[in-house]
Amino acid sequence: MSARTVVAVLAALGLAALAGCGERPQAEATYKQGKYQGKPDTRPWDNAPLAYGNDKWTQGNKTTWEDELKGRTLNQNENTRIGQ
Amino acid sequence: MARMKFLCDAERCIECNGCVTACKNENEVPWGVNRRRVVTINDGVIGAEKSISVACMHCSDAPCMAVCPVDCFYRTEDGVVLHDKDLCIGCGYCFYACPFGAPQFPQAGAFGLRGKMDKCTFCSGGPEPDRSEAEFKKYGRNRLSEGKLPACAEMCSTKALLGGDGDVIADIYRQRVTVRGKGSEVWGWGTAYGKPAGGAQPAAGSKS
Amino acid sequence: MLLTRKSASTAAAQSRLARGLSGVLAKTIDRRAFLKRSGVTLGAGAVATQLPFNMIGKAEAADAPGESGKIEVKRTVCTHCSVGCAIDAVVQNGVWVRQEPVFDSPLNLGAHCAKGASVREHGMTHDSYRLKYPVKLEGGKWKRITWDQAYEEISQKLLAIRKESGPDALFVVGSSKHNNEQSQLLCKWARLWGTNNTDHQARICHSTTVAGVAQTWGYGAMTNSYNDEQNSKCLLFLGSNAAEAHPVSMLHTLHAKEHGCKVIVADPRYTRTAAKADMYVRFRSGSDVALIFGVLYHVFKNGWEDKEYIHQRVYGMDKVKEEVMAKWTPDKVTEVIGVPEAEVLAVAKTLAENRPNFIIWAMGQTQHNNANGIVRASNILMLALGNVGRSGGGCNIYRGHDNVQGATDIGPNPDTLPGYYPVFVPGSWAHWARVWNIDLKWLQERYAPGMMAKPGMTVSRWIDGVLEKNDAIDQGPNLRAIFYWGHAPNSQTRGLEMLEAMKKLDLMVVIDPYPSASAAMFAKVRQDGAYLLPAATQFETEGSVTASNRSLQWRERVIEPLFESRTDHMIMYQLAQKLGFADQLLGKKDGKQNIRLVKGKGGMDEPSMEDTLRNDINRGCWTIGYTGQSPERLQAHMRNMHVFDVKTLRARGGKDAKTGYDLTGDYYGLPWPCYGSAAIKHPGTPNLYDTSKHVMDGGHTFRALFGVEKDGVNLLAEDGVCSKGSDITTGYPQFDHVFLKKLGWWDELTDEEKKEAEGKLWTNDLSGGIQRVVMKHGCSPFGNAKARAVVWNFPDGIPQHREPLYSPRPDLVAQYPANDDVKVLWRLPTLFKSVQQKAVADKDYEKFPLILTSGRLVEYEGGGEETRSNPWLAELMQDNFIEINPKAAADRGLRDGEYVWVSTPSGAKLKVKALVTERVAADTCFIPFHFSGWWQGEDMLPYYPDGAHPIVRGEAVNTATTYGYDRVTMMQETKTTLCQVAKA
Repeated sequence: MSARTVVAVLAALGLAALAGCGERPQAEATYKQGKYQGKPDTRPWDNAPLAYGNDKWTQGNKTTWEDELKGRTLNQNENTRIGQ
Repeated sequence: MARMKFLCDAERCIECNGCVTACKNENEVPWGVNRRRVVTINDGVIGAEKSISVACMHCSDAPCMAVCPVDCFYRTEDGVVLHDKDLCIGCGYCFYACPFGAPQFPQAGAFGLRGKMDKCTFCSGGPEPDRSEAEFKKYGRNRLSEGKLPACAEMCSTKALLGGDGDVIADIYRQRVTVRGKGSEVWGWGTAYGKPAGGAQPAAGSKS
Repeated sequence: MLLTRKSASTAAAQSRLARGLSGVLAKTIDRRAFLKRSGVTLGAGAVATQLPFNMIGKAEAADAPGESGKIEVKRTVCTHCSVGCAIDAVVQNGVWVRQEPVFDSPLNLGAHCAKGASVREHGMTHDSYRLKYPVKLEGGKWKRITWDQAYEEISQKLLAIRKESGPDALFVVGSSKHNNEQSQLLCKWARLWGTNNTDHQARICHSTTVAGVAQTWGYGAMTNSYNDEQNSKCLLFLGSNAAEAHPVSMLHTLHAKEHGCKVIVADPRYTRTAAKADMYVRFRSGSDVALIFGVLYHVFKNGWEDKEYIHQRVYGMDKVKEEVMAKWTPDKVTEVIGVPEAEVLAVAKTLAENRPNFIIWAMGQTQHNNANGIVRASNILMLALGNVGRSGGGCNIYRGHDNVQGATDIGPNPDTLPGYYPVFVPGSWAHWARVWNIDLKWLQERYAPGMMAKPGMTVSRWIDGVLEKNDAIDQGPNLRAIFYWGHAPNSQTRGLEMLEAMKKLDLMVVIDPYPSASAAMFAKVRQDGAYLLPAATQFETEGSVTASNRSLQWRERVIEPLFESRTDHMIMYQLAQKLGFADQLLGKKDGKQNIRLVKGKGGMDEPSMEDTLRNDINRGCWTIGYTGQSPERLQAHMRNMHVFDVKTLRARGGKDAKTGYDLTGDYYGLPWPCYGSAAIKHPGTPNLYDTSKHVMDGGHTFRALFGVEKDGVNLLAEDGVCSKGSDITTGYPQFDHVFLKKLGWWDELTDEEKKEAEGKLWTNDLSGGIQRVVMKHGCSPFGNAKARAVVWNFPDGIPQHREPLYSPRPDLVAQYPANDDVKVLWRLPTLFKSVQQKAVADKDYEKFPLILTSGRLVEYEGGGEETRSNPWLAELMQDNFIEINPKAAADRGLRDGEYVWVSTPSGAKLKVKALVTERVAADTCFIPFHFSGWWQGEDMLPYYPDGAHPIVRGEAVNTATTYGYDRVTMMQETKTTLCQVAKA
């Protein structure tokens, strides 16, 4: 084999090797989440409200739970009590 | 749809550490692990001192989730970023990735032996049955499942730290900005990432 | 597994943000970052069991709440500061498992600071550093004993000391952390023993406030409330670091600020409160009178004073004006305080243009040798601006401990009985003997001859009671025994001498949930002679507590006393049984009994808290209106907090579901004065001296306490000045049966009331009829007078600036010297001028060129043993430190974070870390006072009982603080002394 061919073959191999590195062009940067491998988790609204608390929603109903939380968030705004 | 967020109003934060201890109390976090910290800049400098409470920001595009070699992170429907400690190998990679330093490791000894990563869970526990003893022992309290919000935000002494549905707390903050007459420039895409140079328009879809 | 790729713009911008942050962060390092270095090893040592690799924390309850086990929610109040944040404690199977914020509370709206958010730790039994069982010092070691043995030995020793030396050989240091009922019982307990030698934290906290302010206009308490700041236009914080000492009050302050209220902070340190100020004034520690009068000078000069208000409601302002204009010209002011005239003028202008406004103070004003004058200067400033007696203006005095207000009002004070009835007035004893249902003659015989009318010694000077020569003290014996009942020793000055006093004591008994530094200090120098008794915390008992704004809140009992601890009132009763006055403590005589016994821990008897409130306090405290706050009303308030408006504290409606009590019109917590019996339903007084309201609506006038006229000048209010709806529209004296008869109102009393009220004043009429009728006519029971700008019965009629005893400026000492020495003050010889002169002669200002001041940290409270035993708080602040200016540090070759020795003229040395910061000016240093457990560099861990020591220990700044006391109240001068700092 001539030196040129060797170089050509090596170059071709090199290119192939590089292709195997996972180099991707910048433009195609979309993030794909790795698949979560852990245990499953229950959703908060699938629980029943506490017997002793004031917070109430319908078990399993996400909207009522969200409304409950939104109302509770307002406790962090003193203006609701001060009635400015 | 609820999208859980934290927002700390630096105009109000007095560095009382109420949020820090509320978290310690509610989740029985051991010594050495600080899920939440208060950071003060320009400590003691007249006219410039400001404090802000920092914990996991539950990012939409969480770097910790991105880099975890065992994929132990997941995001709930409400945007809370949680992880499974049974899977965690304590490599610390998420700690490098997080811009807020949220992942914490119990430290023992001079060489910083790492255990399972621990971080703020937005008081919504982890991948164990809700409100079970196992969940409490590993991840702390699950207040969201009780219809409550994170203890830190609910107990903040001056209502500086707001936590809850993003729309609602943004509203609260906006009300304050209106009353103060300033502060709208403190947060937002433009402040964090800058206006494009040379008067060019921001990329389509980006928030100003 | 893909790595996240961010778009180009985000990547670049991120680095800009990072660059920006790093530039800023590099400039200064905050207090927490500075101190976290040794955190890990310390924590690992202390709570090693909590650091497993898989991060499993210990759950308290067997199951999460809601699943199984009896769950109750008890409503209580935080036991740390006087803001009074309510807490819902979730208890499962008798174990305190969680705490929840109470958003309904009008005082704190659910907010907490670090201490309030961590109170649940008090209910945890594992890794607890509480004192768990009684111990006795034997052979230099703390030996566990039984309660019975402890009581037996203590009572025997006490009775022996009493026989040899009389009852005044005992000093009972009471507590501002006792609830109202316990405080009142302890006051009684000390008197039943037969001594006035009893005191509590208020002495070293706001005693000067109470004396000075009461002498100005009648009551020495916060005139308005934290909530009322929302109605204010300007807040002047002069001597308060509210962001660290009363964090939740900043909720009201910052809300007000956002709505246009100006915030001015004047402080030698740039505190966290100052960080939120619109205007910051840095002035020299101890020169407060000069600053206030400097402001007043500009007020008078520009005619900004409220002339009509002064004419109608103030006596003596003209004399004050004369002195201020002559003495406190801008150049003199600047010379003393070190602040240019422009800044002082700016403060004056802001106050004048933004009325009504508040002046807010805490220890910054009170802990000086002329503090009785400083607080009065503040009063005068507010009077001049016409701020007092209206919503949004006045003197907002931030009290310290959770119940220091209550303990001051009705607790163990050396000079007053509950309700400020002075001990030197025989009528006070007659009144209280009646209320307490004890035989007056028996009580008189308990005292050593001639001692009953003499105010006792103060907690700030008990060490001199031990060490001073016997012929120099104004009582028979020296002090031989001391009870430290809920009080720390490291909050009092002259620690070196305290150690000497402990060497000489026959007996020391510490009754506290934590051993406190008393235990360690005593064991360091003694082999025996001390007992430690574990008291229960305030979460383990019920009772009422008075917040700084004078509101009373009722605490429910959360859990049973843990370990072997017992409630303070159980201990009082059991000791009283041993000492022979148990019946008198309960008011048991002639078939009647004021206070029933209820079953406490382990089935043992203890006095009922509700009975104490109802039958002792409500029946006797007519002077300050602790009579309307019955347990029923207070408990109804606690159950219905949501009906109270946050700005006015008033309930616009509402009915208690449990009892049917109608809450309409009540002010939250029935802030005293709540005159008359509970039946007439006085709503409480949210803002004192407010003439815009009817007295039955919470309004009233200035108190007529000082006579009708002075030197021909009318001391009563002018014509037309009265509270709304008053039948008497001019000034009037306080009410008694004679006055009532003269007015023709006597016949409005019922027959029963007449029987009781005959021959009585509004202050000792147990029927409450005089107060009822008087208020029906819209008048204040205590009269309608002018406030006094000149308090002629004080050594300084007009407040004077007096240099601190240890002053850095000998030239100013010559111009503004301290008071003359006093041969007897609170039974002890007290030095002022001679100490100051000696300091100058010794050239202390050269040897110790830096001003040393001390103060609060947000994470800890008081002496600190309780909070430093809480791992959640202790982790945040692990070393004691001295704040020192970069120039002062550089001049001494000190580096940030390294150990230094701080020495003072007292001869003591403190080993603390240096925190180099611009917070303090180059001439001032600051050390927080919450630490103890180190003694001049030595760790005192070996001297604590096993398993009952604080996690974090450090030098107590008061080991090295110096002699210096207020001329009127014997308050200690902790805010200003001198020090030198050197490398360790």
